[in-house]
Amino acid sequence: MNLTESRKVEQERELHRGNKRERSSKFVPVGERLGRTIRYALLALISLAMAFPFYWMVTSGLKTNDEIWQFPPTFWPESINWSNYADAWNSAPFARYMFNSIFVAVCICVIQVINASMMAYALTHMKFRLKGPFTAMVLVGYMIPTTAVYLPSYMILNELHLLDSYAGLIISNSVSVFSIFLLRQAFMQVSHELVEAGQLDGASHFRILWTIMSPLIRSSFAVMILITFIEQYNNYFWPMLITKDPDLRLVSAGLRGFFVEGGAYGLAWPQIMAASAFTIAPLLVLFAFAQKTIMQSVNMSAGVNKS
Amino acid sequence: MRLKTFREGEAVLFTLPALVPLLVFWFGPLGYIVYLSFTEWDFMSPEKLFVGLENYTYLLTHADFYQALKITLLFGFGTVIPIIVGGLALALLMNSKLRSTGLFRAMMFSPWVTPTVAVSIAWSWIFEPEVGLANLVLGWVGISPVGWLQDSTWALVAVMIVTVWKSIGWSMVFYLVALRNLPQDLMEAAAIDGANAWDKFRGITLPLISPTTLFLSIILTIQSLQAYDQINVMTQGGPAGSTRTLLYMYYQSAFESFNVGEASAIAVIIILICVLLSGLSFLLSRRLVHYS
Repeated sequence: MNLTESRKVEQERELHRGNKRERSSKFVPVGERLGRTIRYALLALISLAMAFPFYWMVTSGLKTNDEIWQFPPTFWPESINWSNYADAWNSAPFARYMFNSIFVAVCICVIQVINASMMAYALTHMKFRLKGPFTAMVLVGYMIPTTAVYLPSYMILNELHLLDSYAGLIISNSVSVFSIFLLRQAFMQVSHELVEAGQLDGASHFRILWTIMSPLIRSSFAVMILITFIEQYNNYFWPMLITKDPDLRLVSAGLRGFFVEGGAYGLAWPQIMAASAFTIAPLLVLFAFAQKTIMQSVNMSAGVNKS
Repeated sequence: MRLKTFREGEAVLFTLPALVPLLVFWFGPLGYIVYLSFTEWDFMSPEKLFVGLENYTYLLTHADFYQALKITLLFGFGTVIPIIVGGLALALLMNSKLRSTGLFRAMMFSPWVTPTVAVSIAWSWIFEPEVGLANLVLGWVGISPVGWLQDSTWALVAVMIVTVWKSIGWSMVFYLVALRNLPQDLMEAAAIDGANAWDKFRGITLPLISPTTLFLSIILTIQSLQAYDQINVMTQGGPAGSTRTLLYMYYQSAFESFNVGEASAIAVIIILICVLLSGLSFLLSRRLVHYS
């Protein structure tokens, strides 16, 4: 009796709640509607302000040198000078820089897909005595400020005769604690029974990993690859340290070189802005297409600290 | 028994492709740099001279070090707090009952994707003292122009603005996820009990999103200790050392003055600060963070 009564109360409450919800979606009180409009306006304003430096970069790159030095500045170029973009592109080997960045980033992505997934698989679905210490090591690795150990890393790379080479750029970045974390998180969600079933069928761990498990965590792979690519394309400090040869410069180092050398420092601002614009363009295009996946990385890395 | 060892061997084999570079480029250097910090070397001499704690005592008795430490802390607090508070504020603004905010979200997140070097160059132009946009905006609100990157009181502020701009949208997305996962029934129950918006925020929202706050504060602190690109492009540590963080000082003494021992000692101190702050966050989290 008691039970049915409480259920009734609950039902009524549900109904009431439902009504309320319906009402709120049909009649929005004036105050709330005003609040909403203000919020939209505020958000629009902030978004525009956040994206404004990009706009400023692109349009400054279209101005003449005379116009760019005007004060107050013009918010739309008086004449459109696409030639600045061509000038900038031709005054330094930007095609080469971009090729370097993309080539190195793609190689690193491929290597990390392999080594991070093998490590993550071993840490989640294989049994071995060092599992605990290895997991702890990866966790600790996440907290080391890598930049602080660039000096000894540089010396080690020197000992290995890998300075000033594509191999050095790729190998020294070939492992990422973040990637291992992300895939470990994903593998933990996959039932261990699948591994056991695979083993009963006589499949090796290697096969289980690539044919059974990997397809299941495709979305994590997508996130991992995109984040790694972005990170490596943008990488500046470390690649700059370990390469002297201008032909090996990644795009950020090349851009910074153009900014400082070539007499461009503070003189040819339209060209500098143009060069900055075409350097970030590939990333903004990538972001436009893979927005959801890239922002998902947040979802996944937020899980990292719950280990 | 033999089969078991074989299986273990296979597992270790699986870890090797990641383990080897991890040891060579992460953990190896970590041990190496501690050793180097007790030596004196200039990249050239055949022998590394063991000097004990000399590098540390030298640093701890010189004003340069304390100046860099101060800049590091200022930069840390001046970026981590605005990124967290600002990110949360933006997420709250965006979260409730607003539809089709996808474009706004993307616009705010986009700086995070772009190379720091390129955007720092663009910001250098914005901070140009004569004709830059920053001074124009200051003029609109009646503040007289400042020298920004050429002014030792404003250069650090400029670098911090760029850093916050780059990451605030990123932290906002973290908070959006956290806010979306809040239990709605709890909110409704609180509303029925007559809690106002502020009570709900303090009593429910803040405690329930505290794991996100902890995670962000640790990651952002580590990032702020490692900030290099924007400083290198915009100020190179200047003017008058006003943007020279410990990391930048480390870089300069290693690769500009070739003072390996001193640089290593600075690096060890940076790592210690990192460990200390992370540890502190964890201790605090025991009391403040609420894991559901």
